[in-house]
Amino acid sequence: MNPTFGSILIKVFAGAVESGTILLLPTLGEVLTERSGVLNLGLEGLMLIGAFFGFLGAMKTGNPYVGLLLGMVAAAAAAAIHAFICVTLRGNQTVTGLALSIFGAGLTSFYGDSWVSQRLTIAIKPMAVPVLSQIPVLGPIFFSQDLIVYAAYILVAIFWFLLFKTKVGVNLRAVGENAKAADAMGVNVVGTRYFWTILGGALAGAGGAYITCCIHPYWLNGITSGKGWIAVALVVFAMWNPFNALVGGFLFGSIEALQLQLQAAGTYINSALLSMLPYITTFVVIIVATVIVRVRHVGTPKELGIPYAREEK
Amino acid sequence: MLRFEKRDKTPVRLRVLVPICSVLLGLFVGSVVMLFARVNPLRVYGAVVKGAFGSAYTFSETLVIAVPLILISAGLCLVYRMKFFNIGAKGQYIMGAICGSYLALFGPATMPRPLLLTLMMVLGTIGGALWAIIPALLKAYWNVNEVIATLLLNYIASYILWYLMYGTWRDQRSHGFPLSKSFALNAQLPRILPAPSRLHIGLFFGLVAAGIVWIIIRKTRFGYEGRVLGENERAARYAGINVFKTIIIAAAISGGLAGLAGIAHTSAVLRILQLEINSDYGYTAIIAAWLAGLDPLVAVGVSVLLAALEAGGYQIQIVMRVPFGIVGVIESAILFCLLAGEIVTHYRVSLTRRLTA
Amino acid sequence: MEGQEQLMLVMNNITKRFPGIMANNHVNFALRKGEIHALLGENGAGKSTLMNVLDGIYYPDEGEIVIEGDRVDLRSPLDSMKHGIGMIHQHFMLVDSLSVIENVILGLESQGFYINKKSVAGRIKAIATKYNFRVDPYAKIWQLSVGEQQRVEIIKTLFKGARILILDEPTSVLTPQESEELFGILREMKSEGKSIIFISHKLGEVMSVSDRITVLRKGRLMGTVDTASITERELAKMMIGRDVLFRLERGDIEQGREVLRVEDAQAYNDRGIMALDKLSIAVHGGEIVGVAGVAGNGQVELAECITGLRHLVGGHITVEGIDVTNASPCTLVSAGVNYIPADRLGVGLVPNLSTVENAMLRKYKQKSMRRGTFIDYGAACAYADGLIEKFDIAVPLKNAPVKVLSGGNMQKLLLAREIDENPRLLIAEHPTRGLDVGATEFVRKTLLEQRDHGVAVLLISEDLDEILMVADRIAVMYEGRIVGIVDAHHADIAQIGLMMAGAVGAKT
Repeated sequence: MNPTFGSILIKVFAGAVESGTILLLPTLGEVLTERSGVLNLGLEGLMLIGAFFGFLGAMKTGNPYVGLLLGMVAAAAAAAIHAFICVTLRGNQTVTGLALSIFGAGLTSFYGDSWVSQRLTIAIKPMAVPVLSQIPVLGPIFFSQDLIVYAAYILVAIFWFLLFKTKVGVNLRAVGENAKAADAMGVNVVGTRYFWTILGGALAGAGGAYITCCIHPYWLNGITSGKGWIAVALVVFAMWNPFNALVGGFLFGSIEALQLQLQAAGTYINSALLSMLPYITTFVVIIVATVIVRVRHVGTPKELGIPYAREEK
Repeated sequence: MLRFEKRDKTPVRLRVLVPICSVLLGLFVGSVVMLFARVNPLRVYGAVVKGAFGSAYTFSETLVIAVPLILISAGLCLVYRMKFFNIGAKGQYIMGAICGSYLALFGPATMPRPLLLTLMMVLGTIGGALWAIIPALLKAYWNVNEVIATLLLNYIASYILWYLMYGTWRDQRSHGFPLSKSFALNAQLPRILPAPSRLHIGLFFGLVAAGIVWIIIRKTRFGYEGRVLGENERAARYAGINVFKTIIIAAAISGGLAGLAGIAHTSAVLRILQLEINSDYGYTAIIAAWLAGLDPLVAVGVSVLLAALEAGGYQIQIVMRVPFGIVGVIESAILFCLLAGEIVTHYRVSLTRRLTA
Repeated sequence: MEGQEQLMLVMNNITKRFPGIMANNHVNFALRKGEIHALLGENGAGKSTLMNVLDGIYYPDEGEIVIEGDRVDLRSPLDSMKHGIGMIHQHFMLVDSLSVIENVILGLESQGFYINKKSVAGRIKAIATKYNFRVDPYAKIWQLSVGEQQRVEIIKTLFKGARILILDEPTSVLTPQESEELFGILREMKSEGKSIIFISHKLGEVMSVSDRITVLRKGRLMGTVDTASITERELAKMMIGRDVLFRLERGDIEQGREVLRVEDAQAYNDRGIMALDKLSIAVHGGEIVGVAGVAGNGQVELAECITGLRHLVGGHITVEGIDVTNASPCTLVSAGVNYIPADRLGVGLVPNLSTVENAMLRKYKQKSMRRGTFIDYGAACAYADGLIEKFDIAVPLKNAPVKVLSGGNMQKLLLAREIDENPRLLIAEHPTRGLDVGATEFVRKTLLEQRDHGVAVLLISEDLDEILMVADRIAVMYEGRIVGIVDAHHADIAQIGLMMAGAVGAKT
């Protein structure tokens, strides 16, 4: 086998893990948010807010990790708006999410205008995991990445455990499946929904900030270019399971990486068509996933998108 | 602690008060955002008003923006009433522009102007309608989430336009810029005011469309079926309403109007196909429809107001170097307030203090 | 004299208002230690509201609650749980997709962070064994029968250490035999010193299981009595406010020709499980066939198949000899099939549309109400006026949303709309559920009238008394089949009960 071809392939897949992490973080967050019964379609806006404030924080402090944190906090704050309107005021979740997307795009392009094309001097750098990174093929792909990627692996495991093995997870799932029953059992429905919506926002912000603090350490208006929407679609693909979100994230990361490699390699395929590839794939995947979910009767939290009102008669 | 009590009916004054307060609050939020950037909001709003209504010309430019908003929001009023959340007006607008432009760019040059223009508009409408029928079919047969589907179709439509503009539709003499050749006079939708105004007869399309959609909703069997369906799908099936057919027709009307908006704007205002064809009106129109309480006639007025905001937004970007993003902030803040305010139309809200035991 | 230490719970002067009604009007209630106390009243008497106040779901506008001498403030079910109150709702508060274990520990503070399934399962089994029943702790709720689900609810409250158990109409979903088993469990718990509140509107079971009875009527307290010192007749009077239960006059009518014939019908339910298992039934003109059975045995699916709302995967349905298998609801309307669905606001009516728009729902396609593609709203209005007058429906504003009408008037509107135009077949699904006495009587009388006019009526009801009162023949449904058909005049309740439980399957 041609060694250069092998190394290119490893490079593609290492890139896939990076791109996959951008999608994984918001998808993971949305899996949890939707499990609590709240539909947040504002991921695109939250990612933009995370990306911009992450960039800003990294720029001002010179520390990309501080930037990442700021991006998460900012996106979490924006998600709190969604929680307030949808949970407390029982507003239409679809339209509120849409408004959140418009808000994120508008806010970041307003404040970000003067930062366009400026670069970070210090971005998040890869840190190879001792021993594990020495494994052939898998080492360079999965364990020669940066801390955020490792954190994402760990978060998947933590949230999977939390969701299916602990009381926190039982409460969370119960709230999304049957809020009235959860309420009757003394679970704080409103608090649960707030918590997971805001946490989902923070993770979406992390996904955005990961772009500007690590992968593309500069600012452009609309730098997330629709990844938030792909993440929303991936939640269906993941069937509301954190582990599947990992698979979905890396699968789509691979498509993204492949597309970029093909563009860089200057194939005959038109670059517009290549750029379209992730969206087309997502479109097809969401159809297939929806059909599977329906046939197998699994997944969708029963009360997704339905506000809960206790004293309604 | 907030306390909610269900209302039997909504007082009319609340239905008026909530949107008005939302607009005011939206402007207030915009001010706060501007103050953080050390921009004087009063000066900006002054410039917006001047940029939108300052002269006959600027007002006509406001109306130029209002035309696509009126057309798209009329269609959205119809589908949203059926709880089909089409947010793909952007993509439908683009597909309308592409389909209609095909005739302008590659159609027989000798075709008489009225015929050519009619065919362009029809083709644009069909293009937009087809782009909306895809997610409607997916929703009807497989229950695919229409929000995600229409959104992804927006991106796909954008890249199709991109593909064409860098590919076969690019003018040889454009020096590599992604521009088509200019539309021949025959393919230009007539403008109705003397230059430099770009206001065109699409305004009448919009007004007529809004009127027709209003009649459809209020007076026809189809509109009645749609309202029943939107309120209660099971009752609709029980009443013998064909749910699939109703959703698909409504989606087609909505997409068709977006497509018509796309080709009309391209043909009358831009007179060229290019990457930037103002397709974001597809999102602004959502706000217009929602702010209008899904009434297409009210949406006409709301469209003009939002168009003024956008027209003023372009102005302040050029004159005061205030980024256009502020328009998005204000629009979304208005929408947030509106969504939040809907609670008081359904419930009596009061603050209660915890009783001491 | 009652000593204070004997009283488990006292509710003083409880008042709870909802828009338009006073659900509880200064109600007093006292519960002793180790008693089964029945709370009796008609639908809408305020029983559930009073108990929801006790469970912390509703907060009373006035009044106080005292538990074992201490005044308590119950703001949420959690507060109530802390004071040892556990409620088993009529609609179970279970999460279908979770296992029994997960449902039991839901919201429990005493459990640690990590769920030790083994230890919880052991404790569940221990509770079950103590009261002589069995349940699989690892099963998902949706896999369990209704009776089993109810036991999970009981385990849930006991697991949380409840000393006061509230059961809201617990027998409405059970067969007579299952009810007996439940009573056994309740007596066992009483002997353990638990206090039990038993909500019901069925006199018979209240007499047999309770120690004391509190009666509510229209939100007011009618009194509390010792079960031993009162007769069923006196109780009925307290509950209803008049002397005798109404008897329905009905003449004998010649059974007409066959109108509905269902043959070997097969259909799936929403979960994709076979709900109708080669079901066959026939209804003739001029008779009422009552379909008895425990909820969830395919009754809903049967009604939906006949009315064109559910797809049949096997078998045939004919109406007056014409094959209407999988015909559209439209076709069925013109064939004279009319339907009163159980879920009035979910299926039958559109809550946010006006009375006029609801009245025309099944008729708007007819020539008289259309002008081309337009709707003739004038004709629709006139039609609605006609219905309102003929059926004496109280409509405050014809253009106001129909949801502002009272339950009884909504049902009248629905009934009026469905029987207005010479029906041949009427499917009535729980037509009196949630209605007050007057409206119930009206609905039952109307059904009998229709029968006398030669209409074939299929009455689906969980209320066996209602079926016995109205029907000519009783078909018992179990697991998607008709397991037996009996003549209502010679019906043996025990026999029907056994059939409902699937114990007897012989077709007569």
